[in-house]
Amino acid sequence: MIALDDVSKRYPNGTFALRDVDLRIDSGDFIFLVGASGAGKSTLIRLLIREELATTGRVVVDGEDVGRMPRSRVHRLRRKVGVVFQDFKLLPRKTVAENVAFALIVTGHEGRLVREETERALSLVGLTARRDHFPSQLSGGEQQRTALARALVNRPRILIADEPTGNLDPVTSWEIIKLLTRVNDLGTTLVMATHNAEIVNALRRRVVHLDHGMVVRDEREGLYAA
Amino acid sequence: MRRVGYVLSAAGQGFWRNPVMSLASTFTVTLMLLLFAFFLTTDRGLQAAVGVLESKVEIALFIDDNAKVSEVLALKARIEADPAVSRVDYVTKDQALKRLQDIADRRKDFVLANIDGNPLPASLEVKLSDARQAKRFGDELRAEIGGGVIADVIDNPQVVDQLLTITRVLSVGGLAILAMMLFVALFVIVNTIRIAVHARRDEIEIMQLVGASDAFVRWPFILEGMLVGTLGAVVALSIVFAAAGPVTGAMLDFLVTLPISLGPEFAFQLAASVLGVALLVGAGGATLSVRAHLAK
Repeated sequence: MIALDDVSKRYPNGTFALRDVDLRIDSGDFIFLVGASGAGKSTLIRLLIREELATTGRVVVDGEDVGRMPRSRVHRLRRKVGVVFQDFKLLPRKTVAENVAFALIVTGHEGRLVREETERALSLVGLTARRDHFPSQLSGGEQQRTALARALVNRPRILIADEPTGNLDPVTSWEIIKLLTRVNDLGTTLVMATHNAEIVNALRRRVVHLDHGMVVRDEREGLYAA
Repeated sequence: MRRVGYVLSAAGQGFWRNPVMSLASTFTVTLMLLLFAFFLTTDRGLQAAVGVLESKVEIALFIDDNAKVSEVLALKARIEADPAVSRVDYVTKDQALKRLQDIADRRKDFVLANIDGNPLPASLEVKLSDARQAKRFGDELRAEIGGGVIADVIDNPQVVDQLLTITRVLSVGGLAILAMMLFVALFVIVNTIRIAVHARRDEIEIMQLVGASDAFVRWPFILEGMLVGTLGAVVALSIVFAAAGPVTGAMLDFLVTLPISLGPEFAFQLAASVLGVALLVGAGGATLSVRAHLAK
C-alpha cells in the first residue's frame, strides 16, 4: 500500500530530515511513527501526501510513484489519503456538517450524495447531534472528531494522523484512538505519528521509531520505547 | 449545483471581504476602460471624419483659353483612366461665368461690375476616390502647366494630410497610454486577488488537503477578478453612454461640416469591446495571482 525505497530528504540548508528510509506498509496495517520532535515524522507524512518531494529515493502510495506524479494528478492522490492534524484545521465560519461536506463539495460531489455521505461520516464519529454547531462551540475532542469525519468522508484507503491527540486530555485522547482503531478495523490503512507513550504501549501495534531522520527500530506489536 | 453555488458564493464573499481593495481595483479598471472607450470612439470619429473629407477632396484644373476642345476632352479621358479618380466634370467658360452670376444674384454684397467678355477660364473638376493620392495626382498635373492645355492646378491636400497625421499620432499615442493603463489595471487586480487568496489561505490549504483540483481552487478567484472587471465595465459604460448625448451634441455644433454620427451599431461594438477587455483583464490578473500562490 505504501512503500518508501531508500528515501532521503535534505533541506536547502543541508540538514537531513530523512536519511535512507526503507519502509513498507501493507493494506490494512496500523502503524505508530514515534520519535523525538524533529526526528522526521512530519516530513515523512508530508512526502506521503506530496506536500514535499523526496530528494532521493522513491515514494509509492497505492501503486503510484508520488515523486513522478504530475502536479495535475496530485489531487487524486490526496482523495485516497485522509489526513488529520494536531490543530484540527477546521473552518471556523462553517458548521460541523458544513466542514465535513466541504471535503465532498470541493472534490466535485453534489446533491444527495453529499448529504448522505456527510451524515454517514458524522454518525461514524458520533457527532450527528452536534452537526449544526460551529467549531468554537465544540470541545477539543469534538473538533478532532469533526476533522476525522472530514478526513473519512471521501472514503480514503489510507488515513494519516499527525499527532491527533497532541492537544487533547487523556480521556478525550482515548476516544479518538478508539475511533481510529475502528476505522482501521473497517479496512483503512492507518499511519499515526505520536508522542503519546501510554497509547502506543496499550495498543501494541507496529511501531516505527525515527531518530535523526533514520529508522532505528521497526517492531510488530512494539512499545513506545525499546 | 452546489459546486457552482460554492464557486459563486466564494467569489462574492471574496469581493466583499475586503471592500476597500475591491472598490479601489474596480475604480482603476473603470478608469482604464473609460480611456479605452474614449480611444475607440475618437478613433472611430476620426476615421469617419477622414472618410467624409476624403470624399470632398477635389482638384480643379484651369484650362488654357487657347486649348482646343479635343485636347481638353483627351485630357479628361486620360484623368478618368486614373484609378484614384472617381469623377471628372468639364466646366466650360460659359458655365463658369453663369455660376459666378448665380452666386452674385443670391448674395447682395457681391456685385459683378464691368465685365467685358468672359475672364473666367474653363476647368476640369476632378473628384478623387482616394484622398491619399491627392498630392501625387496634383504634382503630376502641375508638371503639365504651360503645355498649352492646363493653365493652373488648384488643390488643397494639406487638410487631409494633416488629418491623417493626427489619426496616426492618436492611434500610436492612444495605444501606448492604453497599454500602460492595462498594465496598471492588471497589477491592481493581481494585488486584489492576492489579498483575497491570503484571506482564504486556510480554506485553500484544506481544499488541497482533501483533494480539490487546482482548477477548483482557482475558479472562485478568477470569477472574483471577472466580477471586478464586470463592475468596472458597467460603471465605465454608464458614464460613456450618459455622456454620449451631450458630448455628441457639442461635437456636432463644433464640426458642422462633418456629419459624423456613431450609431447604435457602434454603441453595441463599444459595449462588447469594453466588457471583453474588462473580463480578460479581470480573469487574467486573477489567474496570475492564484497561479503564483498554488505554485508555492
